[in-house]
Amino acid sequence: MESLYIAGVAIGLGLIVIGAGLGIGRFTAAAAESIARQPSAAAQITGAVQLPLFLLEGVAILAEVFVLLIGGRILGG
Amino acid sequence: MNAAQHAEDAHGAAEHAEDAHGAAEHAAGGHGAGEFDAGEVIIEHISNSPLDHPILHLPPVAGIDFSVTKHVMMLWLVAGFLFLIITLGTRRFLAQERPIPAGFMNALEAVVQFVRDSIVLPNVGAKWVNTWTPMLLTLFVFILTANAVGLVPVFEVFGLLDRFVLHTSEESLLNSVLHGGATTTANYNVTAALATITFFAIIVAGSMAHGFVTHWKNLVPHGLAWPVYILLIPIEVMGLFVKPFALTMRLAANMSGGHLAILSILSLVFIFHEQFGSQLLGMGVGALVSVPLAVGISALEIIVILVQAYVFTLLTSVFIGMAINVHH
Repeated sequence: MESLYIAGVAIGLGLIVIGAGLGIGRFTAAAAESIARQPSAAAQITGAVQLPLFLLEGVAILAEVFVLLIGGRILGG
Repeated sequence: MNAAQHAEDAHGAAEHAEDAHGAAEHAAGGHGAGEFDAGEVIIEHISNSPLDHPILHLPPVAGIDFSVTKHVMMLWLVAGFLFLIITLGTRRFLAQERPIPAGFMNALEAVVQFVRDSIVLPNVGAKWVNTWTPMLLTLFVFILTANAVGLVPVFEVFGLLDRFVLHTSEESLLNSVLHGGATTTANYNVTAALATITFFAIIVAGSMAHGFVTHWKNLVPHGLAWPVYILLIPIEVMGLFVKPFALTMRLAANMSGGHLAILSILSLVFIFHEQFGSQLLGMGVGALVSVPLAVGISALEIIVILVQAYVFTLLTSVFIGMAINVHH
């Protein structure tokens, strides 16, 4: 039974990484594209991208912490 | 497998760390008499000292235990170091006849200008920038230094020196101090305290700009149909607490995550050595896999400490700016 819990934690972590990776990848791709089109607006584009990027990262980390805590709580008894 | 399972076991870690305290310390140096348990060693390294083994025992005041643990020690070291170096530097600079920055003051000025011009000014606005720059600058410098100190292995070097040259006893003050050198910002209590400052700063900023009552009214847009408010007010009240909570988790999880990764990879040396009973294999894995990977992750950590200090300051200033510049 314990191995199922571990598998659950591992699958959860993997899903979080997939989601965060997709999100951050799309952000970065869009930012790179728009900077390539308008190099003069690079500073503004970076500024606009940063905040949602950090919020996305925050959500991913929150999910990771919760997965780890729940996994630890189950395993720790 | 065992390492990952135990590393995730944050809750059980406190209990494990207590009974495994002695054993884990020796195993950390690679001199474990018994079996090597990566999870316990890693948790012992990144978690705070156990409550019955603090660095310095202090008498409880009003039922609160004020004993100095290793995170508390590092917290005060960082704060004292910053206070001394910045106040002394600034005082000497102000006492000069010609105020031309040199050496350390150049670096400090660059940091101050960066925080004011690219973090606070665009978010808080020109009117309030001088009110909030000092607080955000303090947050930035403190978080950056506390993050960075955790990467410097000075205490570990002293610890090795102590183990092989000085041979002080296990219970001496020196020996317990040498187990410091932890990242204080990897402790959820520390980051929660920092985020509490943010929480109150948002309220104070809104109250200073609009008055106390108007600040709370500004949380929701005006002039909507009343059923919308039933949905909107609980969401906004929740958002009030989610903001500092996310700040807490982001900083602490980022800082402990890097250390976890480095220590897990370095544990491969001992795990391979034990599983296959060959010292040569352990050393080979160490030289070819663990150390190069750990160096790479340490390099990544240098970026992470900078980015996390920046993110905490940026988000705090964005939240303060949202309380001041209400767009409705």
